[in-house]
Amino acid sequence: MTHKTGLPVVAVLGNPNSGKSSLFNYLTGMRQDVSNFPGVTVDKKNASMVLPSGKSIQIIDFPGTYSVFPNSAEEKLVINTITNPSDPNFPDAVLYVADVTQLDRHLLFATQIRDLGFPMVLILNMVDIAETSGIKINQEVLENYLGCKVILTSVRTEKGMNEIMPALDIMLANNMRPDHTLYQLSDKENTVAAAVAAMLETTNLYRAKLIAHHVEWLSYLSPTQKDAIIKINKAEDFNDIRYQVLETMNRFGHHSPIVNKTTAKCPTSGKTWTDKIDNWITHKIWGPIIFFTIMLIVFQSIYSWAELPMEWIEQGFAMAGSFLNDHLQDSWWSDLLINGVLAGLGGVLVFVPQITILFLLIALLEESGYMSRVVYMFDSIMQHLGMNGRSMVSLISSGACAIPAIMATRTISNQKERLITILVSPLISCSARLPVYAVLIGFVVPDVKIWNVINLQGLAFMGLYLLGIIGVIVSSLFFKTILKSESTSYLMIELPNYKPPIWKNVFLLVKEKVLSFIIGAGKIILLISMILWFLASYGPGEKMQQSVVSAEKYSIENGLNDDEKSHLIASYKLESSYIGHLGKFIEPAIKPLGFDWKIGIALLTSFAAREVFVGTMATIYSVGNDSDEMTIRQKMTAEMRPGTNIKIYNPASALSLLVFYVFAMQCMSTLAITRKETNTWKWSIVQFSYMGILAYLGAFTVYHLLS
Amino acid sequence: MPKTLDSLQPGQSAYVSVLNENKFTCKLMNLGIMPKTKVTMVRKSPFGGAFYIKIDNIQMAMRESEANTIFIQDIV
Repeated sequence: MTHKTGLPVVAVLGNPNSGKSSLFNYLTGMRQDVSNFPGVTVDKKNASMVLPSGKSIQIIDFPGTYSVFPNSAEEKLVINTITNPSDPNFPDAVLYVADVTQLDRHLLFATQIRDLGFPMVLILNMVDIAETSGIKINQEVLENYLGCKVILTSVRTEKGMNEIMPALDIMLANNMRPDHTLYQLSDKENTVAAAVAAMLETTNLYRAKLIAHHVEWLSYLSPTQKDAIIKINKAEDFNDIRYQVLETMNRFGHHSPIVNKTTAKCPTSGKTWTDKIDNWITHKIWGPIIFFTIMLIVFQSIYSWAELPMEWIEQGFAMAGSFLNDHLQDSWWSDLLINGVLAGLGGVLVFVPQITILFLLIALLEESGYMSRVVYMFDSIMQHLGMNGRSMVSLISSGACAIPAIMATRTISNQKERLITILVSPLISCSARLPVYAVLIGFVVPDVKIWNVINLQGLAFMGLYLLGIIGVIVSSLFFKTILKSESTSYLMIELPNYKPPIWKNVFLLVKEKVLSFIIGAGKIILLISMILWFLASYGPGEKMQQSVVSAEKYSIENGLNDDEKSHLIASYKLESSYIGHLGKFIEPAIKPLGFDWKIGIALLTSFAAREVFVGTMATIYSVGNDSDEMTIRQKMTAEMRPGTNIKIYNPASALSLLVFYVFAMQCMSTLAITRKETNTWKWSIVQFSYMGILAYLGAFTVYHLLS
Repeated sequence: MPKTLDSLQPGQSAYVSVLNENKFTCKLMNLGIMPKTKVTMVRKSPFGGAFYIKIDNIQMAMRESEANTIFIQDIV
C-alpha cells in the first residue's frame, strides 16, 4: 500500500547495526505507521513529522543496507527505490546514519548515496561509545569532503538528537545537491552509463551505471528497456562484478584517509568486553551449552510469567460472555456475537501475554548482539539440513508462534534455504499446542514424580517438543534433496559489539510485533470462528429441531436440572449440525488413528487454530463453556465406544492424537503468512499436505504399536 | 601456493593480499575485509565449517568456502 502524501520524503538510510532504527524510533516515537513497500512484504515504517519551520515531511525508515550492490531481498528493495525517481517512496533527501566507531565501513554507502545526487545530512551515531573508547571526532573534515552537514549523536544518551530536525529544515530549504561526484567513472563505465542515461533520459550518470549493473532485477524497467540495456552491457563487455569491486575499492581508497583525519583513534589495547564475553559465549563447548541454557530459561519464563495474565484474559472474556448472555435477547445475532465473535477474539487475545514475553526476550537477544553468535555457531548444522545459520532465529521464534518465525526468514538471501525454513518452522511446537497437550497428556502419562523431583508429565511435554524437532530434521532433509537452488548461499555476518539495549526501542519493537500478530492472525481467526459458529449452529433439514426435542425428552425422563439440560441440548445440536455431519463424514478416514467422529469435529474446528480443540471438546461433551481442563478430561475418560466397554481415550488413542497435533498444520494464519511470504499458494498447499501426511502416518504408527 | 584465510590456526593473524573476485567480494569489503587489512583467526565454530574472524575492532563470522577466497601473507 502506498500513499503519496505530497509531503517531501526523507529517507533514513544506513548500514545494519548503525543504530538507524533506534534513531528513527526516537525521532518518531509512537507516531509511526507500519505498512508494506509496494508488492513486497518488507515492512515500511514511516511517520509524518513537522519541522521547526512548520514544514511537514514524511520520514521513512529503510531496511539496513551495506552498499548499492545488494545481497538480500531487503537491500535490493532499497536500491530499487532510490534509483527510481517515479517511485512513490523515492526520497527528496536522505538522513544517513553511521556508527562513528565503524566510520570507514559505514561511509561507503553514504558516498554512494551522495553520488546519486541526494541532499543529505550525515549522523555520526554512538558518540558515547566512541568517547569511552577514546576516539576523537573532527567532523569538519568530513563536512568538507562530503559537502553536507554532519551531526554527532547518541540515541542512548540523547546527545545531539535535538539538532537533527533543524538540520533537516535547512537541508530541505536549500535543496543543496552535490555538484560533482566523489567517484570518477572509468572510461568503460562512462560509456555504458552515458548510453543508458541517454535511453532513460536521466542526467545522473552514476544512477545510470547502477541501473546497468542491476538491470536483471530492477522492477521498474520495462522489458524493452531491459533488452536494450543488456545489449549495451554486452556490446561494451561490461563485466558486472569486476566494476562493482573496482568501485568499492576506489571509494575506500579515497575516504579511508579522510576517516583517519576525522576520527583519531587511540591504539586499541588488549581485549575488549566483547572479546571477553565471546570467549565464553562462542566457545567450542561452552557456547552450545550456554545457548541451550538460555533457551530453557526463555521458554520457562514464557510459561511461568504468562500464566497469570492469560487467566485474567480468559476470565475477562468469560465474564463479558455471560454479561452479554444475560443482557441480550436470545437471537441468532447475539449467539453469533457471543459464541462466534467473542469466542474467536478470546482465542487470539489469550496468547498475547506469551507472545509479548517471547518477543521481548527475542528482541533482547537480538538487540544485545547474541542472535548473530547463534547464527555463527549453528550455521554448519543448519547447512546439513539445507538451511542457513540465520534459520536458527526463525526456529527459536517458532517456539512461540510460527507467524513471526516465518517473517524472520527475510534475512536469508538464498531462496532454497529460506523456503525450507518457512516450510519446517511450524513443526516446532508453538504456544497454541500447549492447551491441547495439557488436556491429552493426562491420558498417557500418570501425574507422578520420579525421585520426588522430576514431574513425569513435564518430561512428556519435553518429549513432544523433541518430537517436533525431530520432525524439523527429517522434513528439512527431505526438502533439501527435492528442492532446487538457484542463488548461492552465504554466511558472512557481522558479530556486533555487545551493547546494553535501548529500552524505548525494545518497547516499540515488541509493541509493533504484538500488534501485527493481533491484527494479522486476529482477522483470520475471527473469520474462521464465525464460519465454524455457523456450521455448528445450523444443520441440514429438520434434524436440529428434532435433536432439541429428543434432548428435552431425555432430560425430563432422567430428571436433569436446567444446567444439565441446556448442556445436553447443546451437545445434541452439535451432533446434528453441519459440522457434526462433517465429523461423521470423515470418521472412516480417522478411525485407523483411533479417533471417533467427536474428535473428528475437534480436528476440523482446530483448523482455525489448534487451541480451539479444548473449547470444541467442552461443547461436544456438553460441559459448558466455564469448565476447566480437568472436567473435560473426566468426561473424556468416561467416554466409551458405542455398544462396547472399550474406552475411546486410552493411552494408544490419546498418544496418537498428541502425535497428530505435534505434526499437523492446523493453523490458517500460518498458511496465510506462508502465502504472503512466498507470493504463491503453492507453498502453503505443500506445507499443509506434507505436515498432514506426517501427522497421519505418525498417529497411525503410534496407535497400532500401542493397541 | 599462496595461502588463504582458512589455513590460519586460531590465534594467528595475517594481512590480506588479494580477494578472489566473486559475487560476494563486495560484501566482504563492506564488512571490512580489504587488501592490506590485518585479519585474525579467533576461533572455529563449535560444529565446524565456520570461523570467528576479527579485523581491528570488528568481529565477523564466515564459512570456510568464503574464507578460502581471501588470500593472505605475512602470517604472525
